[in-house]
Amino acid sequence: MKKIFLQPLTVRIWHWINALCFFALIVTGLQLRYQELPNITSFRTAVDIHNLFGLIMTLDFFLWLAFYIFTGKIRLYIPLDLKKFFTGAFAQALYYGYGIFLGKKNPHHATPDDKFNPLQQSAYFMVMLLLMPLQIITGLFLWDIKRFAYWIGLLGGLKVVDITHVAVFFFLTAFLFVHVYLTTLGRTPWEHIKAMFTGYEEMEENGK
Amino acid sequence: MYGNSHTKRYGKNIYHALLFLIFICLSAALLLSPGVSEAARVPLLENAGACLVCHYSKDMKLVFTDKDKMPVTVSERDFAQTVHSKLNCADCHQGASPEKHPGKAVASRAAFRKEASGVCRTCHSDAQLRAKPNHAYMIDKADAPLCTECHGGHKVLSIRQWKAGLQGTAYCLVCHRQNISKSLGPDERLSLSIDPADQASSVHNKHACSDCHTEYTREIHPLKTFSSPREHSIAVSGVCAKCHEEKQAALRGSMHYNLSFRAGEALISRGNPKAPVCTDCHGFHTVGPKKTYETLSGTPCRKCHEGIFAIYAKSVHGMAKARGEHQAPLCASCHFAHEVNFTAMSDKIKGACLGCHKGVEELHKKWLPNTELHLSAIACASCHAPSSEKGIYLQFVDQRTGKSLPQEQILQLLGTTSPELSERLDTHGQGLSSYELSYILKQLNKKGVGSQVAYLGKMDVVKYSEAHQLSLKKNAIRECETCHSSDSKFLKKVTLAVLRTDGSMDRYPARPDVLTSIFSTLSSGQFYMVGGTRMTLLDWAGIIVVCGGLLFPVLHITARVLTAPLRRAGRSEDPAKGDKS
Repeated sequence: MKKIFLQPLTVRIWHWINALCFFALIVTGLQLRYQELPNITSFRTAVDIHNLFGLIMTLDFFLWLAFYIFTGKIRLYIPLDLKKFFTGAFAQALYYGYGIFLGKKNPHHATPDDKFNPLQQSAYFMVMLLLMPLQIITGLFLWDIKRFAYWIGLLGGLKVVDITHVAVFFFLTAFLFVHVYLTTLGRTPWEHIKAMFTGYEEMEENGK
Repeated sequence: MYGNSHTKRYGKNIYHALLFLIFICLSAALLLSPGVSEAARVPLLENAGACLVCHYSKDMKLVFTDKDKMPVTVSERDFAQTVHSKLNCADCHQGASPEKHPGKAVASRAAFRKEASGVCRTCHSDAQLRAKPNHAYMIDKADAPLCTECHGGHKVLSIRQWKAGLQGTAYCLVCHRQNISKSLGPDERLSLSIDPADQASSVHNKHACSDCHTEYTREIHPLKTFSSPREHSIAVSGVCAKCHEEKQAALRGSMHYNLSFRAGEALISRGNPKAPVCTDCHGFHTVGPKKTYETLSGTPCRKCHEGIFAIYAKSVHGMAKARGEHQAPLCASCHFAHEVNFTAMSDKIKGACLGCHKGVEELHKKWLPNTELHLSAIACASCHAPSSEKGIYLQFVDQRTGKSLPQEQILQLLGTTSPELSERLDTHGQGLSSYELSYILKQLNKKGVGSQVAYLGKMDVVKYSEAHQLSLKKNAIRECETCHSSDSKFLKKVTLAVLRTDGSMDRYPARPDVLTSIFSTLSSGQFYMVGGTRMTLLDWAGIIVVCGGLLFPVLHITARVLTAPLRRAGRSEDPAKGDKS
């Protein structure tokens, strides 16, 4: 077994702050939208918590973005070789949908320079470079509707902004379930989660 | 020398005696001549010596039975100027003579005057009085002013002579200070009386009567006819525009001028007898300063809006006013005096609130998220009249200007009429649906017209009277959940408000789903309330997406559990194969 350094400190800090924000934003977002559900706090407090964690998540996002841009690792999220990407994505989908049940090996082997398998890469690309910015922008607009009235108008109106924010919220929540589950598909159920705390992931000597 | 002088003196005496005799004879001839006696009558004062012996004194007073005292002094000089200067005392005070003086007790000053005025009719016949309109109607009028009230007692002057020395208001008040009126019909009379004290204390006291009554001069006094006091008020109020055109313009733009949203309620322009014109609030000749209306009892609005006053009196403002806090607002403080208009969809009222409640935006910012938006989309009364019924008012707006689209422009863009618009806005008679609203919006924004119409929503009280029951700050609604919930009853009352250029408003009830349907999004909806106006369709889509995300691990884990024997079998065949499951 060997240990490889997969998750730099900055990424780990960003990740757990982001996880905390996700949790707080989902819970308070649900309360804001569905008053008829059991409430954990008042609407007013829920708004404050939602705004606070929205701000933290936004700053955290920019921490992530800055780190990945300045280290050049942003390419980890961008499928530069499309042929390799589609071939790998098919192999990965085949693994998750079939091979894993038969005990086949994971076709992707994480390295610091190739951390995500193609399905992860496409999912994170969608989440981090499309959905998160969209959620941050729409959230920012809804946070101060008057101030961003012009931009809201450009996006098609307040309802469009709200629907977009809520729709992204649904997708991110759904993603969260899949994401958490997939973290348990490492060599051991806690392998990937542990790596997100320590930075290191244990691998077999042959890199598998 | 002595003899000559004596003769001369004697002759001179005879000469004087002859002259005296000639004078006596001529005087007697003149007096006895019928044609000359009238013209040469001796003025009263020469014959009233006996009367003036007493009536010259300023201490002379007549004591009535009711103990009231009236000076009975006659000024010799004043009387000499009157039209009656040639009359004897007894001509009017008939039956009076030094031997038979009217010493009888008179009940009162009024009775004395009545009796004295009655004497005038001895000479001034009904025919003579009927020749002048102002006298004519008095003949048959029991409570007509007495002759002496206008003409005086002993200082009787001809009207021309009398008025010659009067200027401006005083000239007109000679008559109009009297209790005079004119008939407007069998049962109605219009008072023409002006209390000089009222006029003197009015803000118009520096004006001459003819400044307003422009058709009237000292020489011209046209007789006008009105079918009712109302017609008179409207005609008179029109005169105010001469100086107060800006107020008239404001009034013409107000709901008082052309309110028409309810049948039969059309006001000034449509002849509603209750519609307020200038004189209804300001009076005719008692136009007071603004502060006159700064008391509850002095507010003219109360004449028609008594019900609202009862609500206002119990409000935080009404109670403050009752305590004597003069800063507390009255009607005009919020609604303004002349440009009174609908409060729904109007920022005027809010401006009035914020005008007094300085810094209120900063105070709200301390606890209310999106403060500016809340303050612009919610009427103050929605929260500060906590027990009021509330609703959502939608309004077409021109997105380029941000201003509401008046009905006239809507009709022009749609190429339709008002009745047709009503039909199109509620085709099925069940309230405006989201589809109907989006369809109308689509037509308003059709190609070639160049318009950018959307709709905005605002929350306001449903019953205008309830907007006046403003409560103490501590009672105001602060719970966000009151509105930010799909169960909020306020979101069930949705109305499309279409304003007219005249300030009136048509209201079209809408179905509650007009705010939550997918069509509300497609129609550039700008009204959105977190938790309140959420789209049901989106909720269902969200449930499917989230359940899909949840289902993946569940199904995958299930599949892994079910296929575990396969992997175990594989490992037993090839121990080198590793699996992480």
